[in-house]
Amino acid sequence: MTAATIIHVVASGLATGAIYALMALSLVIIYNATRTLNFAQGEMLMMSTFVAWAVQRALGLPLVLTLVVAIVAGGVMAWLVERTIIRRAIGGTHWDVLIITVGLSLILRALAGLAWTHDEFPFPSFFPSAPIVLGPVRLAPVSVGIFGGSLALMAALWALFRFTRLGRAMRAVAQNQRAARLMGISVERMYSTSWVLAGVVGAVAGVLVAPVVFLSSKMGLIVINGFTAAVIGGFGSMPGAVLGGMFLGVLENLAPLYLPSGIRYSVPFVVLVAVLVVRPAGLVGRIERRKV
Amino acid sequence: MSLRRVWPLVALAALAVWPWVAPRYFVFLASLVLVNVVVAIGLNLLSGYTNQLSFGHAGFLAVGAYVAALTTIHAPAVPVVVTLLIAGAFTAAVGLAFGVPCLRLGGLYLSMATLAFGFVITEAILNLDTLTKGADGLRVPAARLGGWPLSSDTTRYYLTAVVAVLLVAAAVNLVRTRPGRAFLALRESEIAAQASGIPVALYKTAAFGVSAFYTGVAGGLFAFVVGFLSPDAFDVFLSVDFVVMIIVGGLGSVPGSIIGAAVVTVLYDWLAAFQNYRPLIFGTILIACMLFMPGGIVRALEPLSRRT
Repeated sequence: MTAATIIHVVASGLATGAIYALMALSLVIIYNATRTLNFAQGEMLMMSTFVAWAVQRALGLPLVLTLVVAIVAGGVMAWLVERTIIRRAIGGTHWDVLIITVGLSLILRALAGLAWTHDEFPFPSFFPSAPIVLGPVRLAPVSVGIFGGSLALMAALWALFRFTRLGRAMRAVAQNQRAARLMGISVERMYSTSWVLAGVVGAVAGVLVAPVVFLSSKMGLIVINGFTAAVIGGFGSMPGAVLGGMFLGVLENLAPLYLPSGIRYSVPFVVLVAVLVVRPAGLVGRIERRKV
Repeated sequence: MSLRRVWPLVALAALAVWPWVAPRYFVFLASLVLVNVVVAIGLNLLSGYTNQLSFGHAGFLAVGAYVAALTTIHAPAVPVVVTLLIAGAFTAAVGLAFGVPCLRLGGLYLSMATLAFGFVITEAILNLDTLTKGADGLRVPAARLGGWPLSSDTTRYYLTAVVAVLLVAAAVNLVRTRPGRAFLALRESEIAAQASGIPVALYKTAAFGVSAFYTGVAGGLFAFVVGFLSPDAFDVFLSVDFVVMIIVGGLGSVPGSIIGAAVVTVLYDWLAAFQNYRPLIFGTILIACMLFMPGGIVRALEPLSRRT
């Protein structure tokens, strides 16, 4: 195996990993604000991508506008879900909310199936298909594009959480809800914001990944990889989510080079358990010290 | 006689006469409900009582089912009771082997590790195809009890019913004993439990073992009731269904497990008529259920039972 092949594989691994990282980030954003796990995150991604695709086909929009449509659709859908359903379960335990999101994922997948059937559709790509040649190394533009696009979004998220008033409020809610409320932060508004933000991140991830994996109602299953990535990194930590995602993506792409094809799908999970055995709270996570 | 005493007797009588009054298909459906009841109780002992939510119980079910099927194929003379015990014991061993390294994991991390376990199990079944016939699936011969093959829906129903009743009775008693109370203490607060002198690691591991045993036995029953095993029947969605059963029924409650398993299984079957709309309706019911009955059906029924 040449070094060029390995570089190529690692590059496409980083692209896959970037998508997992975005999925993981959207899960972590909601989890940090509301302490619930959004099982329907994958289906929300699928829905916003489908809407963007349908609008693009109906109106013949330029591709860049597809991204805008997806972002708007993802954000609006997340906001609606939070305001009409999740908000009403505010008194319930997080298990209740988990089941609600399970129900939501079933509904969204069924709706997508009814509207667009359960077939696979090609999604137009933003990037040319001719490989970028750098000496002996050939890189697929789509890998570079996905990676770059994801990095840009991650940077934007980082800036949002680091520098803006809204980001600071969200971090405050994640740290201590009661204290945040006493400081005059509307915790409820932060719930909505976190859902919208997660919806938007998911929508971008969907549009970026759809040309590679095809558009289908089963696309939402990617949430499991996002979840794995978030847990490997340490659930609740945003740098951890990115790290976990990249790690998982590279690993998944490298594994088939060295392992028989039969067991390659187990690799992420074996690695997950191995990581957790050594570091029970993920790569960068810390074990929460709970009081009685 | 108080209502508490009457209920189990009514349920037993209903179970006994069911094959005579119900059409054949409903006898099969009842067997399936009973299998799921056993899984739900096993899962609830782990998740509801010791707060370790597992998304991998389809994996345990698969282990039990394949062990029972392979035992019957390769040693047809073994009576079904022994086969089920082997399935349960083997699955419990797998559960312990998996539970011990996961002891340090809490909450989401444990759920994720169990999810991973489920994936690895289905993958392992596909790869051990000389033994399990992989994706082609495995036909399960009829179970035998003292030379008699249990080859009709009714005999399989009675097998399942007897085993389920025994396991429900065992669970009801278990949760009232010292270990059962220890499980509940673990759920409320691990630190407080530890401070009260409960050996946390021991009981968490034990919960894993017991839960896997229940699910393994249920897997054996599942193999005989359905008669055909293939790895894709034991996917993540089945694990999620089990979690749905115990949360909709009521976490940390044996009656809750029974109600949840029955409601979800019957609903699933009944909604089959709606084809593409099935997940839509099921999802809506789930959401409505959690919005209007937070804590599950059993919590919603509590005020009623207290009044009587």
